Amino acid sequence: MLLELDNVATGYGKAQVLKDICLNVCQGEIVALLGANGAGKSTVLRCIAGMIQPWEGSIKFEDTDTQDLPPYALVAMGISYCPEGRNVFANLTVFENLKIGAYLINDTEQFEARLEWVYELFPRLKERRNQLSASLSGGEQQMLAIGRSLMSNPKLLMLDEPSLGVAPILVEAIYDRIEEINTSGTSILLVEQNVSLALEVANRAYVLEKGVICLEGTCDELRDNEHVKASYLGIA
Amino acid sequence: MGLYITQQLVNAVSYGSILGLLAVGYTMIYGILGLINFAHGEVFMIGAFVCYLATSVYSMPLIYGAALALLASTGVGLLLQRYVYRPVIKRKAPLLTVFIASFAASIGLRHIMMMFYTDKRRAFPIPQIFEKMFLVGGVAIGLRDILIFVVTIVIMSVLTYFIRYSKVGIGMRAVSYDRSTAELVGVNSSKVTIVAFVIGSALAGLSGLAYGLSFGIVNPSMGVTPGLTAFIAAVLGGIGNVTGAMIGGFIIGIGEVLFVALLPASLSPLRPLFVWILLFVILFTKPSGLFKPNVKFEEIWE
Repeated sequence: MLLELDNVATGYGKAQVLKDICLNVCQGEIVALLGANGAGKSTVLRCIAGMIQPWEGSIKFEDTDTQDLPPYALVAMGISYCPEGRNVFANLTVFENLKIGAYLINDTEQFEARLEWVYELFPRLKERRNQLSASLSGGEQQMLAIGRSLMSNPKLLMLDEPSLGVAPILVEAIYDRIEEINTSGTSILLVEQNVSLALEVANRAYVLEKGVICLEGTCDELRDNEHVKASYLGIA
Repeated sequence: MGLYITQQLVNAVSYGSILGLLAVGYTMIYGILGLINFAHGEVFMIGAFVCYLATSVYSMPLIYGAALALLASTGVGLLLQRYVYRPVIKRKAPLLTVFIASFAASIGLRHIMMMFYTDKRRAFPIPQIFEKMFLVGGVAIGLRDILIFVVTIVIMSVLTYFIRYSKVGIGMRAVSYDRSTAELVGVNSSKVTIVAFVIGSALAGLSGLAYGLSFGIVNPSMGVTPGLTAFIAAVLGGIGNVTGAMIGGFIIGIGEVLFVALLPASLSPLRPLFVWILLFVILFTKPSGLFKPNVKFEEIWE
């Protein structure tokens, strides 16, 4: 098991957001975490990435407890979190953003290889490598954010709403790349509001409602589930 | 008149260097922690004062005095980071608390030094060789001014290169822009903070040394005015932008000297007015400064 959350509860300040979260990701899988706005999807990812600590329960990555580690230590272990909202460093160029994604990689050859691969995945980034990332379009910034998360050579990539605010034509391109990234050996935990899109690429999915996991299963099972159909896919 | 102005410009260059070196610390620490280190002027004072004590009181050679001064100012900067700023930030204290802590550190350091040494102005011993003057086309240029300027330019170039191309430099800019995202890509922001305090405080100490050599006077409250002036230089240069801060220092140093030179002699006590007028002009016309700041600008006003 690559990632294992056992009965995790957490929140912000005194407000509890998540309760009894049990979730796992196996090597090579794409797992989707679905749910409405405010269900706590991003909080799950933030908790795994070490940005907030769990109040209860445990998080294991490759059988090591990780809940007390700071975010940069988790990056070193192979967890990469690409946060929601195209969080690129707008004051840095495209190349500098990618370089900082490889902050923990000291080997120049490995860095060059990663860079080449990311440029292959997203040729647009190569064309614009010397531009300030503030000048990129929304979709390009999303590509850059994903590319940056890949620079650290992660075992687990966590993507938070990669389709949010991206032009439809680029959404498709980004999802093609996500499958390609997975084929190359990186496991993916995907948070997405666009449920039908997520069910297309993922192997398994969890449905989060009000901070609790209410459903889980393979994507085929979920697609046929009456509750999912009615609440998330808009099929009466 | 032309010669007079040229002479004034030459005189302003070392003053501009002093402000530029001092402004770097403000801009780096503000960029990374979002706090104005009001005690930075005291770190500057510690540099000058330790060198004065070492050379004048304990009769060490200047070079040892200077080395001790840099160590002392860096040490004080690190102590401030460890025992003043880190605890308040760790407790997620509101901005006002951090602000007051910063003031307390500034006043505290200044008054501890006053307790031991009083605020009497003391003569900073300037070795004879630094008093040497060269005459170039009727303009007198002091050896120490050349030295201070050259050292500043070298440091400025190295630092600009470091911030622009090194991994830690890019890391610093990333932390300045967005600390939590920087941590998510593997940057240890505590380490980056320490690097910023080390560089900023060492350069403040160096600036203090240059001040001592230029003006020949040290006292515990010497850091107040240059500190505020250098802070305005950092604002002028675009907060978080190290090269901008240095250039801001030169602009203010030269501007201030010319301002006084062009006023009638009876109005020369108005000298400090220049920076405040300038601050108003910046804040009204271009509050982000002349160069690209390295912070999300809206955050400054939150």
